[in-house]
Amino acid sequence: MTRLANAGAAAIAALAVRLAMPSPASAADAPRLAGELDAKGLAAAVAAQHGRVVVLNFWATWCVPCREEFPDLVRLEKAYRARGVSVLGVSIDLPKDMPKLEKFLSASAPDFPNYIKRVGGDDQDFIESVDPKWGGELPFTVVYGRDGRKAQVLSGKQTYASFEKAVAALLK
Amino acid sequence: MKTLRFAVALLGIAALAAPTFADAPAIGSTAPAFDLKSVDGKPFSLADAEKSNAYVVLMFIATQCPYSNGYNDRMRDMAAAYAKKGVLFVGINSNSTESVEETAAHAKQHGFGFPVLKDPGNKIADLYDARRTPEVYVIGKDGKLLYHGRIDDNSNDASKVTSPDLKNALDALLAGQTVSKTETKAFGCTIKRA
Repeated sequence: MTRLANAGAAAIAALAVRLAMPSPASAADAPRLAGELDAKGLAAAVAAQHGRVVVLNFWATWCVPCREEFPDLVRLEKAYRARGVSVLGVSIDLPKDMPKLEKFLSASAPDFPNYIKRVGGDDQDFIESVDPKWGGELPFTVVYGRDGRKAQVLSGKQTYASFEKAVAALLK
Repeated sequence: MKTLRFAVALLGIAALAAPTFADAPAIGSTAPAFDLKSVDGKPFSLADAEKSNAYVVLMFIATQCPYSNGYNDRMRDMAAAYAKKGVLFVGINSNSTESVEETAAHAKQHGFGFPVLKDPGNKIADLYDARRTPEVYVIGKDGKLLYHGRIDDNSNDASKVTSPDLKNALDALLAGQTVSKTETKAFGCTIKRA
């Protein structure tokens, strides 16, 4: 178990090094693993997108419907990036699943940043900080308006049409 | 008439596209009654179970969800330990993607000594507004909902649990005390609704 914990810590450390790298010059160069986040860091990441519509998606490699809807998020970001939509992914994978996570992101090639939830603390506090009505089910998506206010929450697997509907309403 | 049919069709499409959830029963309210069949074909009535046990623990579970599977041993062991104290644990599989046969084989494989029910059309999950697996509900003899949420705070490693919430709730109730934390949350797999 200690070995596993060490492996996880090493993976997180490797991620931290990547975080220290310069910011990407374009969305196409965006890091596929953008770092680890706690509730405070997540709020800051969303706030940094102020002025844009934000689609915040919580997922995990072990979650089949998450993997199924992920290509639609990649497509959505490509289609709506220029119109003011940012997509942010937050993986709930554990550090031991880092190889699977990296492999999935490499194959999916999202042009948007994906973070991993920081291990530690009570997951309930993290869940509550995102939305009091969220029970912790995955996938889960929160859509924020240009003003940074939460506009909609989407529980469970979505279609491209439902993602598009959610953002289109906020771009008017 | 055509307009009415069109409107009904649209409503149908909307219902398919966006599953709606009932309001979750509040703590202290009456837990919705239901009758289902277990995966081995036996009838199960929540009303009867409430009458013949001090408490009933409903657990929405899955066969393929790693978060739910992380609790297989804990569910089996808690069910056995608390059965001696008059608590009946009951598993409910509401996933449209997991068959009766698969659910039965999974229960057998993991040595579940408690009844496991299949919830066709996720009607009971809808009644309870259950969203994920695992998600548990504790119901008293009077049918009142007393606890809703997670089993504990660590699905990955039972040895690292710091908040055994279901155990705490049951121990408090069995000791005639008030449950200090009646609602808890955890990550889990979405229930795959039909």
